[in-house]
Amino acid sequence: MSHAMIELRGLHRFFGPTRAVDDVSFQVHAGQVFGYIGPNGAGKTTSMRILATLDQPTAGDAFVDGFSVVEDPDRVRRRLGFMPDYFGTYANVDVAEYLDFYARAYHLRGPARREAVDRVMHFTGLDVLADKPINGLSKGMKQRLCLGRALVHDPPVMVLDEPAAGLDPRARIELREMIRGLAKQGKTILISSHILTELAEMCDVVGIIERGKLIAVGTVDEIQSRVRRPHNVVEVALLDGVDVLGNWLLERPGVSAIALDGQTLRFAHEGNAEAEADLLRAMIEAGFRVSAFGARRQTLEDVFMQVTQGLVQ
Amino acid sequence: MSGLAEPTAAQPPPARRRVARWWATAESLLERAGDRLNPILVKEARQALKSRLFVVTFGLLLICAWGGTIVGLAIIGPEAAFGFRGSTMFAVYFVILAFALLVIVPFGAFRSLAVEQEDRTYELLSITALGPAQIIRGKLTSALLQMLIYLSAISPCLGFTYLLRGIDFVTILYILGWLVLASLGLSAIALLLGTLTEQRQLQVILSVMTIVGLLFAFGVAISVAMIVLFEEALPFSEPQFWTTSGALLSVYLSYLVLIYLAAVSRITFASQNRSTPLRIVMVVQHMLFTGWLAVLAIVVQIGDPDFYAFCMIILVLHWYAMGSVMLGESPELSLRARRRLPQSFLGRVFFTWFNPGPATGYVFALCGTLASAAMTAAGAAVVGNLGGVVVRGARLSADRVFGVFLLGVLSLCYVAFYLGVALLLIRLLRRWARIDVLGATLIQVVLVLVGCGLPPVIQAMSLPWRSQGWTVLQATNFFWTLSDLAAGQRLPPGMEQTVWLLPAMALAVFVLNLRGILREVEYVRVAKPTRVAEEDAALAPPPPPPPRPSPWD
Repeated sequence: MSHAMIELRGLHRFFGPTRAVDDVSFQVHAGQVFGYIGPNGAGKTTSMRILATLDQPTAGDAFVDGFSVVEDPDRVRRRLGFMPDYFGTYANVDVAEYLDFYARAYHLRGPARREAVDRVMHFTGLDVLADKPINGLSKGMKQRLCLGRALVHDPPVMVLDEPAAGLDPRARIELREMIRGLAKQGKTILISSHILTELAEMCDVVGIIERGKLIAVGTVDEIQSRVRRPHNVVEVALLDGVDVLGNWLLERPGVSAIALDGQTLRFAHEGNAEAEADLLRAMIEAGFRVSAFGARRQTLEDVFMQVTQGLVQ
Repeated sequence: MSGLAEPTAAQPPPARRRVARWWATAESLLERAGDRLNPILVKEARQALKSRLFVVTFGLLLICAWGGTIVGLAIIGPEAAFGFRGSTMFAVYFVILAFALLVIVPFGAFRSLAVEQEDRTYELLSITALGPAQIIRGKLTSALLQMLIYLSAISPCLGFTYLLRGIDFVTILYILGWLVLASLGLSAIALLLGTLTEQRQLQVILSVMTIVGLLFAFGVAISVAMIVLFEEALPFSEPQFWTTSGALLSVYLSYLVLIYLAAVSRITFASQNRSTPLRIVMVVQHMLFTGWLAVLAIVVQIGDPDFYAFCMIILVLHWYAMGSVMLGESPELSLRARRRLPQSFLGRVFFTWFNPGPATGYVFALCGTLASAAMTAAGAAVVGNLGGVVVRGARLSADRVFGVFLLGVLSLCYVAFYLGVALLLIRLLRRWARIDVLGATLIQVVLVLVGCGLPPVIQAMSLPWRSQGWTVLQATNFFWTLSDLAAGQRLPPGMEQTVWLLPAMALAVFVLNLRGILREVEYVRVAKPTRVAEEDAALAPPPPPPPRPSPWD
């Protein structure tokens, strides 16, 4: 296997009594897309800021391409493109000038600089807005610009903190396509997002963090198998009597994690398709007026809900 | 192929082609030069051109200059044609220009860093390949560019003052030169202040302090300029004037470099060695002061002992201030800083004190104070009886030379005591809180207030001591002790005990700090991590080893 492009080794970051990051360790190998998920305040942004050399760990260390973020941040910065959860734009600057400034800041000169700016504007679709002042851009366009800024020096490692936050569905889909494009280029990507369905489609590996502690790392299937026996999620819609069905299901074998959403009931079911068909028949025989019944494989969202407890600090 | 000749495109005339070629070459050269410019300078120049604030300020400067011209000429009247009223008009333009250069430009520099922090663009800037020195240089050159724009806008008016007679060209240049230097210095200080804190509340307090300080500097500049223009003309023909100007310029430049490096070190990442460059500049400054003092002692032969006492106090205060700042450094030496520590015996003996750390900083400041005291006492001895040199005015008596020597000893003791106590306090407080440069300086201020402010209050409230002069209660009060000593150049009555008390106090505090000093001295060089060594080797293969290793390495 290729060497780790990102490595967190026993990383701790305390703010007074708050343990924002508490002994977090994981590796991301070259070309992998790592989804970093967790509830708000779990410690995702803090870990990412340490990786981006914007903060210092209380203990432990993080490495980018083998260089320590504590001891050699200058070498890390040359290899890393960081997109934070804020824009950080200047007043009285237009799109092309903004990207040109950052290209200069990465010591790109002459034709190399112009090529880098053109490449990034083309990739992010900002070439038509080159002369537009940044302040006049929509949120989606600003997000593209920030992605462009992080990409201007063509870094092999990208750290993206909530890149899709606050975007409309169209802008989100477009951004997702861009990130997929980056993954295809072979960049190592660490991405945090709370839109888990999107992450599941993009990520090779997922890390779940809660209250500063990394509670699971691996592919969605690996985490699922580690946490609990494999099961499907079943959704049942009734015309009436949903509350009664909940109690009725609790007495059935292999049923767990029952959640109510209006007239729809969602629960985990261990068993094959035949067992699900038997369950449906039993429901109808028991007099429940079932209007819809469907089973699906666990999603990242389901795994996340099972693994985390919704605790904040 | 047809037999008909192809119609050729109309060629421009040779002269126009030459111009086009020349223009293309010039454009390419300019672009290449633009590539070499600091990115921050380029960005801020672009921003300023679109900024309403700059347009308004520049417009106001022009309006004030034009208004001043019209009003000034109206007041001068027909005398403008035959009188010598250049100085009057120059004073008007100087006030306008000084406000722009001493208030607007430095405050703009302060705000430019503060705004970067408020808008969180600073974080993004700091993780680019731009080094901290490039960031500060970019901001400073941007301030310099603004100064030049303001200066060029008002230059026709300044030329006009020369035509009005009453002021010579050298005076105009001399005053403007110092004005630009003062503006640059204040911009550097403003940038340093801008790096001190990222907290919004402290930024507001610093903004107010910066404005007040800049207005004060503006007032001082106006006063000095008025004296030069209307009361005491500059003696350009005297060689001593240029010697003094040279000395002032060198002192100014040394402090400018020190402030610039201090600002750079404030925004440098924590594991980098942020202290050694500053300490090197401090040593250079010390050598510079020594040089100028030697010139004054040997060449000019200043025989006034007060002069040496004054020089000593200034130098000791300088080292005391530097020591206070160095105490705020972290006692932990990063692995990165340890990669370049001296290894040889001589290197470790002489260069360990240049390593970052509060305890090494303490010893470094003490060495500087000792050297300053020894140097000024030697200066006094050279021009006094001990040196046997006949000086201008009265010969210095041995007593008076001894007074300067004693002043040096007591100054050293005070520096050792105050810095030592602060170092002990900082080490204690670091168990619970993070103490940085700002915190260390505040601790020192509190110590001085307690040590020098409290004893006079107690003495004033005590019936038996109330009417007396210096008493032993004032042993910690260096203001009173040293000023009495400097005024009399010998021990005032009742101060004899202090001569023994102070060295004992200083020594005790030094001994208490020995453990911390030894801990910082024990750091040894560590090897580069393999990955770093690999990259260094790939980027620049190491040169062949020198034939003989240096004993200083």
